Amino acid sequence: MTETRPGGEPGTDALQHPHTPGMRTGTDPAGPPQDVIVAPPHIPVRDERTREFVEQWRNAAYNCYSSGHKFCREVCPVMQVTRNESWTPTAFHANVVAMEKGELDIADIAADYVNCTQCGACELRCPNTLFTGDFYRFRTRTVDVVKAVRALAVDSGVHQPGWRRWNLLTDERTHEPVLGETPVDQEHVRDWAEGLDLPIGGETVLFVDCEAAFYRTAVPRAVAQILKAAGVEFGLMSEQWCCGGPAAEMGYVEQAERFARHNLADWRSVGAKRVLVLDPHDYITFTEDYPKYFGDDYDIEVVLVVELLAQLIREGRLTPEVPVERTITYHDPCRLNKRKGIWQEPREILRAIPGLVFNDVDRVTQWSYCSGGGGGLPVEKPELTAAISANRLDKAAALEVDTLVSACPWSERPLSEAGDGRDIDVVDIHELLAESLGIAVGGSRGEVGDRRGGGCGGGTCGGGSCGGGADVRGPGEEEDQ
Amino acid sequence: MSIATDVLDPVVEALRHVLRDDQVLTAKTDRYNRARVPAPFPVHRWAERVPDLAVLPESTEEVAEVVRIANRFHVPIVPRDGGTGLTDGAVPLRGGIVVDVKRMNRIHEIDLDNRTCTVGTGISMLKLNEELARHGLIYPDDPASYPCSLVGGRIGTSGWSLIGSRYGHTRDLVLSFDHVLPTGEVMHVGDGVGGKVSKSSSGYQLKHLFMGHQGTLGIATRATLKLFPKPEAEFSPFFAFSDYDSAYACVGALARAGVATFAGAVLFDEWKVAYLRRDDEAYIPQPADVRALVCAVLYGYEDEVRAGGRRLMRIAREHGARYLGDEISEGDWAARHDRYATPLHGRTKAGQVVPMSWHCEDAAINYTNLPAVRREWHAIIADLRRRTDVFDDWGMFAYTSGSTGVDYLTEIDVGIWEQRLDDRAWEMWVKAKRDIAAVALKHGGSISACHGSCREGEVDLVPDELGRGFGVMLDIKRTLDPENIMNPGKYLLDRAYGEGGRP
Repeated sequence: MTETRPGGEPGTDALQHPHTPGMRTGTDPAGPPQDVIVAPPHIPVRDERTREFVEQWRNAAYNCYSSGHKFCREVCPVMQVTRNESWTPTAFHANVVAMEKGELDIADIAADYVNCTQCGACELRCPNTLFTGDFYRFRTRTVDVVKAVRALAVDSGVHQPGWRRWNLLTDERTHEPVLGETPVDQEHVRDWAEGLDLPIGGETVLFVDCEAAFYRTAVPRAVAQILKAAGVEFGLMSEQWCCGGPAAEMGYVEQAERFARHNLADWRSVGAKRVLVLDPHDYITFTEDYPKYFGDDYDIEVVLVVELLAQLIREGRLTPEVPVERTITYHDPCRLNKRKGIWQEPREILRAIPGLVFNDVDRVTQWSYCSGGGGGLPVEKPELTAAISANRLDKAAALEVDTLVSACPWSERPLSEAGDGRDIDVVDIHELLAESLGIAVGGSRGEVGDRRGGGCGGGTCGGGSCGGGADVRGPGEEEDQ
Repeated sequence: MSIATDVLDPVVEALRHVLRDDQVLTAKTDRYNRARVPAPFPVHRWAERVPDLAVLPESTEEVAEVVRIANRFHVPIVPRDGGTGLTDGAVPLRGGIVVDVKRMNRIHEIDLDNRTCTVGTGISMLKLNEELARHGLIYPDDPASYPCSLVGGRIGTSGWSLIGSRYGHTRDLVLSFDHVLPTGEVMHVGDGVGGKVSKSSSGYQLKHLFMGHQGTLGIATRATLKLFPKPEAEFSPFFAFSDYDSAYACVGALARAGVATFAGAVLFDEWKVAYLRRDDEAYIPQPADVRALVCAVLYGYEDEVRAGGRRLMRIAREHGARYLGDEISEGDWAARHDRYATPLHGRTKAGQVVPMSWHCEDAAINYTNLPAVRREWHAIIADLRRRTDVFDDWGMFAYTSGSTGVDYLTEIDVGIWEQRLDDRAWEMWVKAKRDIAAVALKHGGSISACHGSCREGEVDLVPDELGRGFGVMLDIKRTLDPENIMNPGKYLLDRAYGEGGRP
């Protein structure tokens, strides 16, 4: 019988001793190397920016590259609709390896990195994250790699035309041009709150993302009224700019930081200690980007409204009582479920609403779902966003639902467009909760989406022509700007 | 190696007559990412293996047109499906056109009465089974790369399935398929007439010829597959042993028991257990006296799995097994696809964690020869390890290939620090692969049970293994691919042609 001791003392015969090098008392039974045959690291990259980038990301990229299997591929929403291997998460890492070898440069690769919604499914599905991530404190970070490549591209003067235009307009208007030619700016950023009598400033302020503030105004109206009904005190910002997250996602880092600085200063100027966030994208920006920008100086508590509402229901401070007769399923927004692990609270809310038939889908199954609305994809490639949303609605249709509930304003425009053809309404979870609380929300649910007889979820707009009105466009339809 | 511009330009022009612009990819990233396969590559020579362009056809007819164009211009053509193969079948050696079939991923038919489905070869087993589950059916082809390998690649490599002892391997599960020959002709190949027939004695048995050729004999585009009822119950007991010999005796007894629901058994040796412990027992939180493991898997209806499971539990206990409990067993079996690819388990001799690529050499070995092969293979890797930190022994698996336990897919997993690989280390590795294959042959085995054997190193011994059979391969290759356009340079098949592999 062979005597073996994993991690044990070295012996003379390597075959007698399987080993775990470096672990506990374990050393390598093969002994010291007779002849060190290890090629020295060599990075033949001259460009300083690129070299810095490669040095930062090369090991992370190798951890993907070396993994060999590409399990991320089938959960990637872009891959699902394009079947183009150049646009897979693993390709995004492999390109970095090729850059390190001097085979590819930023001009070769930049355009490929458009094809990512930064949903994070690939990171979760990666065996490195699943099996060794916790122990080695290493998680595959494809989203960060994509952001870093996009930033390198912008720094190197390689622009994507749609993104450049989008961020230029955002810079001019201090908000994303979500309504096309229709003005979006400081003057209109609080229009959604008309008649709600909300104060400016205070310890707690509500931040409303550009899409919800200007396009799907029913969402912030629902949120504000629910919070008031529960007795939560909050105000609005003195001067709210775009959170800067989209600029950071598209590589315009300087602009993103400038916007962040403005918003932080505004919070401080009105005495805010706490920011309520209804949009998952903002939640990522405020909890991941801002701390990177400001370090220890960042002293703002960030509260996700969905989590707060679940808590209020749990505490009995909100009790949804009006039955909502719909058969629904829930779309886990990528930035909540996949990026932040928030999937329970939205379900708690939905289960508290009487009258709903809830055909749920496991949150892990939803790793492979996305609306296609994130990461700047709709700006450069609206046709891909539409195809990804259509895929998502196919999954909903298979559950024989009449309503798809989301918790992300940015998903709701493309999902609603896809839902139109399938007779499936797309409703925001806050709108739905407001309806069950007997709140007449008002505001706009945008121009698209199902408008069947009984009104539209929490909104009371009816025909969909309320709110912003003229010339409402999708983020990808701004060609003539 | 790549094609001269004056040849390439007219090829691209011809392709654009049969394909849309978004189906013809010539950018550098498109080409580099279609040369890449699981490691080691060798990555430091990536540029040598890059195709001149890639195409994304969407039908058999489009594939046939592309092949005809390649034939007309004498341009190499390489099929690529999932690109997860470990023997470089999908890697271009001479540039040319990569035919990426990932867009051919439709389910064309599910025949509930005959229990078959017909699919485009660009679909993965995972996605197919998501659809089949609605009908209570399963396509039980289960490679390590299950979530992302594609049906076409399974055909091209004649893949091996983790649960093949119950359901058979790819060759048994694929009834027939449309196949584009190297000249661009399209044929349907199966048993006899093909279609949905599972057994025919009519004519030569051609189906096997067009499976496992690693893309040297054409491209499968649409396949008809055998389906089974989705198993009602799964039982996957993991058994712990304090020594390899007891585990080895046990796995043999389990395989020979003839339990009808037995889907496979796996033997982990001491090196594998030590490797899995490298993240502080995150995988297998077991006491240090656990040195070898056996996992058996049963699938079927609950009543039959329960009965079969009881018998296997009894056999295992008689061989000194300690049952690891339901939680560990089910968890580890559920992780069967993911556990392979863990670059962070790589270690230098000093114990430093470095990203290493998983590489696996496999052979078909009879049960009685497993211990000897294991000793000799570990010795080969220990020798590499003595000489350099580039290599690391990640242990061995042996999996039953058939229900009777006659032979085992026997693999040794090697960590390779690709970032530090250079020509010297690469040559050491190629020689080691040759030595590993030689051990398999010496013990009456076959060089590969699973991946194929056309990579540098092991391929050198293929003529030795096949004897006159290799000559027949050359005859067939020359006849079916007169211009040597289909994946040239693989399997030493250039020997069928003149100097430099040119006809």
